Amino acid sequence: MNSEFKQVVKVYKKNKLAVVAFFIAAVLMILAVIGPYLAPYDPVEINLQARFEPGFWEGNTDHILGTDNLGRDIYSRILHGTGISLKVGYAVIAITAVAGLFIGLVSGYFGGVVDIVIMRFIDILLAFPPLLLALVIAATLGTGIEKAMLAIAIIYIPSLARIVRGSVLTVKEMPYVEASRAMGAGNIWIITGHVFPNVVTPVIVYLTLLLGDAILYTAALGFLGVGIDPTTPEWGAMLSSGKDFLILGKWWITVFPGIMIFLAVLSFNLFGDGLREAVDSKLRL
Amino acid sequence: MALYKYFIKRLALTLPTLIGVSIIVFLLIHMIPGDPVDIMLGDRVTDASRLALEERLGLNQPLHIQYWNWFSNAVKGDFGISIRSNQPVIEEIMSRLPATVELTVVALFIAVVFGIIFGVSAARYRNTTIDYSMIGFSLLGVSIPIFWLGMMLIFFFSVILGWLPVSGRLAMGIAIPQVTGLYLVDALFAGNISYFWDALKHLALPAFSLATVSLALIVRVTRSSMLDVLSEDYIRTARAKGVRENKVVFTHALKNAMIPVVTVIGLQLAKLMGGAILTETVFSWPGIGRLLVTAISVRDYPVVQGVVFFVAFAFIAINIVVDLFYAYLDPRIRYE
Repeated sequence: MNSEFKQVVKVYKKNKLAVVAFFIAAVLMILAVIGPYLAPYDPVEINLQARFEPGFWEGNTDHILGTDNLGRDIYSRILHGTGISLKVGYAVIAITAVAGLFIGLVSGYFGGVVDIVIMRFIDILLAFPPLLLALVIAATLGTGIEKAMLAIAIIYIPSLARIVRGSVLTVKEMPYVEASRAMGAGNIWIITGHVFPNVVTPVIVYLTLLLGDAILYTAALGFLGVGIDPTTPEWGAMLSSGKDFLILGKWWITVFPGIMIFLAVLSFNLFGDGLREAVDSKLRL
Repeated sequence: MALYKYFIKRLALTLPTLIGVSIIVFLLIHMIPGDPVDIMLGDRVTDASRLALEERLGLNQPLHIQYWNWFSNAVKGDFGISIRSNQPVIEEIMSRLPATVELTVVALFIAVVFGIIFGVSAARYRNTTIDYSMIGFSLLGVSIPIFWLGMMLIFFFSVILGWLPVSGRLAMGIAIPQVTGLYLVDALFAGNISYFWDALKHLALPAFSLATVSLALIVRVTRSSMLDVLSEDYIRTARAKGVRENKVVFTHALKNAMIPVVTVIGLQLAKLMGGAILTETVFSWPGIGRLLVTAISVRDYPVVQGVVFFVAFAFIAINIVVDLFYAYLDPRIRYE
């Protein structure tokens, strides 16, 4: 296991872009934790005396990235927003992993009517354009970051369940599974001991590729004002509140949160791509 | 299997999915925490208006009867009446449909045409500046939030340069005689080039921002597919015969490299339909996406249900057409 990991790292390190992406992603992950302590202002504190203040480019040292239409400090809001976006991203991964694995394992391992019913239901969920599905589910559940997490996870659960099911169908025909059953092993033992460890690699790769995407959907929901409270310092919600002031030339309200979304999505996507390539090359060896 | 038999089989497989979709869309209104009537009407509500709305939405009937009523009307295109505008939901959808169709079709056109041109040039000039800039573009393009890109385009092209309009489909005071509702087409029917130009200027930024993600993906797939094909034996043979490189690329390789590209193009429709919701919000584009977002924010649930069912239905129908097209292109698919 250890040497396999080393092999993956070795291949990954050859991809310079992926290495840079990994460092940016790591910085973002650290910022998500310590960001709120670095923030000089309360991210939701309204200060009407300090509305639309430009930042450092006009020599502003109090608010280095300027203030928005309610006088809130954009730098502080961005720092708090990092935590929100990554928290949603992690939660989406966790929910998707648990639900997708469970559904895929049950469906693939037991087969029969259970499998047919589950697969039909998955077909139905996949019949919606993904953003539309997340949007209406978030709208139905109401406002709240936990609800947004659930709404976004529902986009990915069907695809992951399908991937897992496909792998399970192959694994369960393997001689070692048959051998284990012949020795009297029960279903739970076979699933946890034999099937699960052999389907987990594609799952990990899928989940890594999903993080950037999930952050993008979070920002999209925040921007549309659905599922995420518009006053929270979420990056997408910040774009939405700054949108109308762009024509007045107040560009900093939308430019900086947008750069953060872009940077986060880009670095996590490149990290995921690099990891997939590295794992694929390991599998080919 | 003949194509029409494949079509019937494909249609039969879709029916249960469609019924499932309708059940989910129907149940949405019942999954809202709390009483839907309270949420829709707000706090200040008289018992009479409450009962009237319950009656109108049929909420006082058993669930399965409610569903049946809703479904049997929905398949006829009757999604009920908007709570806010008091217009039939289907009329609201139909009046905004052309705007969304125009936006997505133009975006798809941009993505396909430029995606293939860029992808082929990257492969043709492999490991040159052209190739590297195309790779860079496609890396950035798939990760950019299109709603932010849209805003940045507005800031640059409309606010700073003043070249293009900020929002809407036409300048104030212009009225194109409506035939199809697609303003580019209608302006041509009317024979009015200045109207056409105005509609095109309004369309440019939204269509370009909507196209970006798909464009980047198509560049990536075209490039790698072209590189695969260019390493085939028959390409080496063609080169050995002394065929000019441009002819090798454009006549020998391009056609065979298109199969994975067509698959990706088919998958872009879902992306574009979702992306239209965001783009329409950024550019105040009066399409279905904006209708949905507005309906969600004012809790107009009949409109939400109608739009979601309509879009899912359209999405399923488009997928069938795409599948048929593949089956036509590649007969092996019909036997799977």
